[in-house]
Amino acid sequence: MSNYSTPTNRRLTVIAQDPGVRTAKGGVLMTRVNVPAETLLAGPRGHRVQVVDFDSSKNVFYKSGASRLDKDLYLDIDDGKVLESDPQFHAQNVYAIVSSTILNFEKALGRHVNWGFDYGTHQIKVAPHAFSEANAFYSRRDEGLLFGYFPSKNRKKKIFTCLSHDIVVHETTHALLDGLKRQYIRPSSADQAAFHEAYADIVALLSVFSSQDLVGHGLSSLRRDEDGTCSLKDVEQTIYDSFLSGLAEQMGTELLGLNRNALRRSIDLPPSPRYLKMAAYEEPHLRGEVLVAAVMQAFIHVWWRRLIGKSGIKTIFDHKLRPSVANKKVEVWRVIEEGATAAKHLLQLVIRALDYMPPVDICFGDFLSAVVTADSEACPDDSRYEYRKRLLQSFADYGIKPSSSNARVPGRWATPVGNFTYGHSHFEPMRWDREAVFRFIWENQTPLNLTKKALTTVESVKPVVRIAPDGFTLNEVVVEYFQSIALRADELQAMNVRKPKEMPAWQTVQLYGGSTLIFDEFGRLKFDIGNHINSPQQNEKLEALWARGAFKKEFSTERTFARLHREKSLRQSILTGEQW
Amino acid sequence: MPATHQPEDIEIHTYQVGFGDCFLLVFKYASCDRHVLIDFGSMKKPKGAGRNHMVKIAKQIKRDCKGSLDIVVATHRHKDHISGFATNKRGTGPGDIIASCKPKIVLQPWTENPNAETDAKTAEKEAVRAFTNSLNSMHSVASSAIDTAKLLRRTTNRVTTDQLNFIGQDNITNESAVVNLMTMGKNYYVNHGDKIPIANILPGVKLHILGPPSLKQSNTIRKQRHRDAEEFWHLQAASSQGIGSSNRDILFPGYETKKAPIQTRWFRNRMRNLQAEMMLSIVRILDGQMNNTSLILLFETENKSLLFPGDAQLENWQYALSRNENTDLLSQVDVYKVGHHGSLNATPKSLWKLFEKKSIKASPTRLKSLLSTLEGFHGHKESGTEVPRNKLVSSLKRNTDFATTQAYTTSELSRVVHLKA
Repeated sequence: MSNYSTPTNRRLTVIAQDPGVRTAKGGVLMTRVNVPAETLLAGPRGHRVQVVDFDSSKNVFYKSGASRLDKDLYLDIDDGKVLESDPQFHAQNVYAIVSSTILNFEKALGRHVNWGFDYGTHQIKVAPHAFSEANAFYSRRDEGLLFGYFPSKNRKKKIFTCLSHDIVVHETTHALLDGLKRQYIRPSSADQAAFHEAYADIVALLSVFSSQDLVGHGLSSLRRDEDGTCSLKDVEQTIYDSFLSGLAEQMGTELLGLNRNALRRSIDLPPSPRYLKMAAYEEPHLRGEVLVAAVMQAFIHVWWRRLIGKSGIKTIFDHKLRPSVANKKVEVWRVIEEGATAAKHLLQLVIRALDYMPPVDICFGDFLSAVVTADSEACPDDSRYEYRKRLLQSFADYGIKPSSSNARVPGRWATPVGNFTYGHSHFEPMRWDREAVFRFIWENQTPLNLTKKALTTVESVKPVVRIAPDGFTLNEVVVEYFQSIALRADELQAMNVRKPKEMPAWQTVQLYGGSTLIFDEFGRLKFDIGNHINSPQQNEKLEALWARGAFKKEFSTERTFARLHREKSLRQSILTGEQW
Repeated sequence: MPATHQPEDIEIHTYQVGFGDCFLLVFKYASCDRHVLIDFGSMKKPKGAGRNHMVKIAKQIKRDCKGSLDIVVATHRHKDHISGFATNKRGTGPGDIIASCKPKIVLQPWTENPNAETDAKTAEKEAVRAFTNSLNSMHSVASSAIDTAKLLRRTTNRVTTDQLNFIGQDNITNESAVVNLMTMGKNYYVNHGDKIPIANILPGVKLHILGPPSLKQSNTIRKQRHRDAEEFWHLQAASSQGIGSSNRDILFPGYETKKAPIQTRWFRNRMRNLQAEMMLSIVRILDGQMNNTSLILLFETENKSLLFPGDAQLENWQYALSRNENTDLLSQVDVYKVGHHGSLNATPKSLWKLFEKKSIKASPTRLKSLLSTLEGFHGHKESGTEVPRNKLVSSLKRNTDFATTQAYTTSELSRVVHLKA
């Protein structure tokens, strides 16, 4: 077989959400996802993902299927009992969902993504039955995703977190985000503490909604005529009033106490710009829910706009239909398709946004600006579906304003205006060589607004290929550099940073800054997106860190996610202000 | 002999139990004395103590109370608070000596009530059942924690295994002590705000029960919807059961194999270590949960007010601190038994701020603090978790008349603080 005919993708059957979401006939709702058509060894073990079915609570392995790994053996099986009792299906389910999530990231970013592991290994280890505990998490140190299991409430069966589509995507996203943005697990502002979790929820929900099977299922209550159409009025009512809440009710019913039903929590948060100002929302889990709710609202708005935008129907207010068109018919398949497409597009956008995020000390406004920039880069004309307008509106409803105050394209990061020196740089090595890029940064310390006393490190240089709005491919380079400086608390003032009142003078404080630089196809600096050491938010961040007890030695970043998720489900959060 | 209306003096005996708590309050009336024993347990005896140290203390208590106890308080079920109530077959255990003082009332938190769940209202029943299950599962978790600590001592981080062992030992079931407490007097199982009939036993003394909150009360501060409460405690129980050593059923019979494929061994070893760390953190949560079942008692006489919070941590305190009516009560405290042997999270700063009688200057009305502890046994200085916490101790020394069992000489079994009631 010649290389040209090698298939690139393979489709595998997975659970669309979790075993609790059933079809009208009582079967588990299934869907199929794309995974790379790669050489598979027993496990399954591919080039990015290695499933290790070891159960540390019982100290046993479960045997993996060794043959026909490239075949979709579970196509057309939806019997819950069969699926739940077959560990080889569990292994396939996690393998496929993890792989397809990686694929989604790589497609959206236009390049391969690396893991954040310390030894630079290529395969992430996935344990579908890692331990008997109601928890699932990503561990950088152990290079793995670990999914626990626990007895159901009536103790009659086991609940497997590895069978929940959204949980698997959520954990994979933590791992991918950690690979792309290693600094995000550092203690920083309240927004940063909330971001990892919120982002993983957002990617998980949008991934689940990208499946037409699941969107169709969510619309099963929609009144439809014999010819497969329904009235716009009904569609409007369903997607605005009951789509999310109906699915939230079914999703993760068995995992209820785990507090991991992001959808349910987000629909419990009606739009209000007040949340983020409330003290209770300093708590990272609650804070993250606000971001998730904003994106979910944007999803509904975009979906609706896609539906009516195409047919040229004008609305009275944002989404209210004119009475004259309320009874107009639309095909149900199109409603479903537009929903899944809206989710797919938003998913792509939020992933692409990562390239336009500062490498350290992010806030929700940075994320919004990054999403808007990612969209305006791919689609400069927003008039058809108005994604940007809807995103900005939904975020504003939750009190999130973009960090950039660009007037021409609201919310988009501005192009840097400084006087940059290119004389010492050569175009070709700037696309891959950290040293070459460091030289550029060194020669441009002033226009880049660097702190000259700090240590500067180029973290990554990534060439990316994107499709330009005109359909041609576009070669850009994404660079991340990072600055750090260690000071005694009494030296902070010299750096224009305020020392928290109760912090002792001898306390060592590490300050971080950094920026994402994007070079266009001619090697010119197109974006400089960063938070610098001397930026004003440094004060706020330091205060927040001090209040949260981040300077105590016990506050470690090791196995952050294990703790994070346990605190989330046990609703524990340490009030360090009360401690000695 | 009936007691007169008001106690005239109060004596507080603090016994040297090493890492543990044991206090005897003597309310002195004109006609007679009344005795309240608060906790009697030890996790580690003081240096130089013999094997029968606890029996020696029990005999001392019997002498101090002249053979008669009126109220026995067991703040919560941890070993360092109840091990002294243990009996033996020959009837010579320290608990046998205490029982022979025939306490009229035995006071314990509501969570110790063997019928807790049947007493709860229907809506709460499931949550209470799940909650008490999760407390009870601590025993099996505790023994499996000790096993794991032994097993992993060679391969895993020493700090992890030491802590596993410590918390495991503290939580291991203490059957005879529990039974003794259930049978030595009339039992009261109480929560925040409960009143018990002590007017005849301690005339002129008000006993305020500030903690623990009932599940319903604590849910009001959690702002947690009720349907979640049940799920929440169920999961707590489920989490801990998973690591209990009794759970050995294979998930997928027929698929299991002991043989580790070579390419998986690195990850398997990582997972084993991870398992130990996770066990420690669950055990810690359950341990904290047990501390949070601790009784918080405030004895109020005409002029004095004595606060005995056992090992209550912030979550337990939160309910009491959220009630306005307690603010005045707490601001006037004269004697504070330092919570949880002086650990970093059992003297909430918002409580500390309420105490009005703390002062840098010595005076007869200055706040007195009593600490029963043993240095260098629990926690680590490097991580800021040493017990007692240095920062707290220096604050107590600066602002209160501070007394600690650390200062006792090897032969001293107790010291006494005298107060004008």
